[in-house]
Amino acid sequence: MAPGESGGSALAEIGRSVPKKESFYKVTGTARYTGDRTEARYLHASLKISPHAHARILGIDVARARALPGVRAIVTGADCDVLTGEEIRDRPIVARDRVRYHGEVVAVVVADTETQARQAVDLIEVRYEPLPVVQSPTEAMRPGAPILHERLGEYEKGPGVVPVPGTNIASIIYVRLGDMTQGWALSETIVENAISFKPSDHAAMETRSAIAEILPDGRIHVVSSTQAPFAVKMYMAKYFGTEAGQVEVEAPLVGGAYGGKAAIQLELIAYLASRAAGGRPVKAMYTRLQDMITAPCHIGLEAIVRLGSTKEGKIVAAHLTYRFDGGAYDDKSSDVARAAAGDCTGPYAFEHLHCECLTVYTNHPYASAFRGYGHAELTFAIERAIDALAEELQIDPWTLRMINIARPGDLAPTRDLLNESNLGDLPACMERMKALAGWDDWKVRQVDDFRIRAKGISCFWKNSSIDPNASSGAIVSFNVDGSMNLDTGVVELGTGTRTVLAQILAERMRMRTERIHVRSVVDTAISPEHWKTVASRGVFMAGRAVLHAADDAIRQLKAIAACVLRADPEDLELGDEEVFVRGDPHVRIEVKKICYGYMFPNGNTIGGQIIGRGAYTQRRMNPMNPFTGEGTPGPEWNVGAHSVEVELDTRDCTYRIVKAISVNDAGRVMNRMGALGQIKGAMSMGLSFANRETFLFDNEARVQNPTLRDYSIFRYGENPEYVVEFVERPCLDGPYGARALGEHGLIGMPAALASALSRASGVRLNRLPLFPERIWRARMGYADDSVSL
Amino acid sequence: MPMIPFPFDYYRPATLQEAVALFGELDAGGKRPLYYNGGTEILTLGRMREVHTEAVIDVKRIPECRMLGRHAGMFVWGASLTLSEVHDAGLFPLLGKTGAGVADRTSRNKITLGGNICSQFIYKEAVLPLLVTDSLVRIVGPTGDRVAPIGQLFDQTLRLGGGDLLVQAMTATGYAELPYVTIKRRKSSAIDYPLVTIAAIRTQEGMRFAFSGLCAFPFRSLEMEDILNNRELPIAQRIQLASAALPGPILNDIKGSALYRKHVWSVAMTEAMEALEKGASIGR
Repeated sequence: MAPGESGGSALAEIGRSVPKKESFYKVTGTARYTGDRTEARYLHASLKISPHAHARILGIDVARARALPGVRAIVTGADCDVLTGEEIRDRPIVARDRVRYHGEVVAVVVADTETQARQAVDLIEVRYEPLPVVQSPTEAMRPGAPILHERLGEYEKGPGVVPVPGTNIASIIYVRLGDMTQGWALSETIVENAISFKPSDHAAMETRSAIAEILPDGRIHVVSSTQAPFAVKMYMAKYFGTEAGQVEVEAPLVGGAYGGKAAIQLELIAYLASRAAGGRPVKAMYTRLQDMITAPCHIGLEAIVRLGSTKEGKIVAAHLTYRFDGGAYDDKSSDVARAAAGDCTGPYAFEHLHCECLTVYTNHPYASAFRGYGHAELTFAIERAIDALAEELQIDPWTLRMINIARPGDLAPTRDLLNESNLGDLPACMERMKALAGWDDWKVRQVDDFRIRAKGISCFWKNSSIDPNASSGAIVSFNVDGSMNLDTGVVELGTGTRTVLAQILAERMRMRTERIHVRSVVDTAISPEHWKTVASRGVFMAGRAVLHAADDAIRQLKAIAACVLRADPEDLELGDEEVFVRGDPHVRIEVKKICYGYMFPNGNTIGGQIIGRGAYTQRRMNPMNPFTGEGTPGPEWNVGAHSVEVELDTRDCTYRIVKAISVNDAGRVMNRMGALGQIKGAMSMGLSFANRETFLFDNEARVQNPTLRDYSIFRYGENPEYVVEFVERPCLDGPYGARALGEHGLIGMPAALASALSRASGVRLNRLPLFPERIWRARMGYADDSVSL
Repeated sequence: MPMIPFPFDYYRPATLQEAVALFGELDAGGKRPLYYNGGTEILTLGRMREVHTEAVIDVKRIPECRMLGRHAGMFVWGASLTLSEVHDAGLFPLLGKTGAGVADRTSRNKITLGGNICSQFIYKEAVLPLLVTDSLVRIVGPTGDRVAPIGQLFDQTLRLGGGDLLVQAMTATGYAELPYVTIKRRKSSAIDYPLVTIAAIRTQEGMRFAFSGLCAFPFRSLEMEDILNNRELPIAQRIQLASAALPGPILNDIKGSALYRKHVWSVAMTEAMEALEKGASIGR
């Protein structure tokens, strides 16, 4: 039985399509985000950013800017020598002596108004000496390539990060299974396939903003559009040498994050700005352009996958080379790479495996987490190679996948033993996807003289690897009417997690979710900690904490009820906001009469207000060994199967995405409409990324399309028909058996789209995005090096 | 966040004469005035500091600039009509639909016909239908009020003198009865600048074409039209020959390489010419 289940009774709240608690604010435009906060006492920061991707800073002249009315302070790199970074401390908060990417912050103006700050920014004169740029991992590793971080060996780094000083390799990790010599010897067919894509943007609707203030007693107060308020608290204390308790971080509703708001960046700038202005509160908001290039972005990748197979399609050897384009600073990119390494094979069991996974510095905007955390990336590499192998072997791509899918009893690349709880049921997802896609009916068909329809498929797995000691807490309390309040450290990013947590509490308390109130703001000073709202861990971890808190509250309710009802607590049950005797339900008392203690008719009172608390930490986690890959970085591999159908016009290679299918093992669907929304939203994001999203760099590594005018994302109406279904094989660690869902609609979409378009166009497409021009060039045999690609 | 990071004065004259006079005064006062219609470019380019002004003259309440209808055998299009209004009026689909390819509906509710034709961007797609229909344009300015065929004034951009204001365009209503083609091809998105936009019409004398996105400016080329109307040659060959007579190099930028643009143009031209020669229309 999964946690939370009591056996037998039907679930009333779990699975119900409860509207998101914050929906009413959003649809009326009254939801308040960080940037909506205005106070007369706020000062405003504006950023001067580098127009160069790599340059020495020869001088910064702030005299004219400083003289403008309203300007309170100007911060440059000279004001702070702290290096920051979660994996490698390689990044100054404001560039010092040198800029390493287009968009890097070189100065910050603090002024009374935003307009004054922006005008002052225009008057700052920075003299640069441009340096040669590094544009890709391959370029970065060439002998003689410019080195971005000469002092790489001296930087403080986290455990498991293995940089190679003297090179541009920020981190390297190996995963090995079996014996490659034996693997190749067993291989009757070998294919090699290379893929690549450049960094891109998260493009969340809400641009990032932060407000920082240093109070007279030294406490630091931060409000931020962050997914990780507790990490902001921890790292700010570390960077600025203060006690963690002195830092207080508020995270209001976040308007889309997708991993991009787990990085800590603007908070640090706002803090320096406040410090320079005598501690006064300073509000800093990125413009869209800065949000795109100054803030961390979505990682790029170059990968080569070599697969060895028997004639029958059993893959026996895999040699994987992943080179992630982490950009100018490491931030989380080496950890994204590590997550990709941990699941490097995709959802397949390869007996002999060698994976070399590198995080490489380039002069691109630096990368942080992106929905899927390395998995859409590795999946694109693996799935394109599987398709190539299927073609080579002339085996149906669906069948080839089924032959190789990892099953309970197999080892994961991390040498974890897979079982029916920690591994989702991919074969069931594949079967259902195949039926929904009509895969056996046709795979390619000519529609008319010019148009071809084709289908593509992919499958994926994803383990949610987070820090082994990451914890999540929950506090529940009551109101006098018997309704409940729930507080967790989960930031509401639009995923509806807080609503699902309320459903979990309601289910456990046997009451209606509508009677549960959730806070929409996380405040690290009062909210229980949730490590970071990332990695689709909200429902899993906070859900378990909520169950503990509910049980704690139930125990307290029963204790008081036992006195009042003169019954043994073990004979009591909770339901419909009443506590009653199991064998004699008319002996009962309403929760609202005991949740603040019980008052006898004469005024005597026993007990007090009931506060339930709970916490959860994932079991038996340990980090991966960077030389073998061995470890237990996450608790469960969640899976799904995708299909995409396209219609290609062979004349100009424009195409329409007709239909996209995703079948996921949800473990247990907690909120049906919410789950559908999460999956469809992720599918849309995956297709948009694969179809059109990329930064376009010029020869000097400057981003050519740093605006939404030129960086196109899927719009409503461009979406295909979405078909989403769920398989429900419970994860015995998840609350009510739930498995992670938040990222999983995205992961296989790029591979499935490329698969369909390759089938339609007759050429193997291995670079993203899949612009029509790129397909046309591949068909014509022209070089894929145009300015527009 | 202030969208426009510089201060400017705002004027709203009631008449054309007032507008022109104001422009003269403000210009003499060094205010670098701009006539202001929908304001989308002042907003977006001002934000990026690619437009600067200290005074805007809002002309969109001047009755002449708002005219929409038929007069003496001509459609009259006030320059301050939004692209949405021109489209929704349904009077002349070639103009309405070509204009409806610009930006998105929300933006087109602001973007005006005059603003698009006088845009700082290189595409100016709303001018294409006016070029193929030999429309007239009415201009007021310091030298008075005049009407001229657009072909005389439009050479890559609308050649206006300092203080000149585009008031109206006028198109003979008969053009609305003719077969037409309007095709826009983009890089990948449903909303974007064009790889190529084609507006074409078939008159008694032959087919006429105007293009945007193909070169760094919109144009109609009589030389190309001669080639494209040579029915002794197959369509493919005519297109090939016409491509050698382009008035400038093919655009090569982040939206599409010159190589691909030319190909996309050829495919779209084939479609356009096949339709027009059959007397059919294409409007997308």
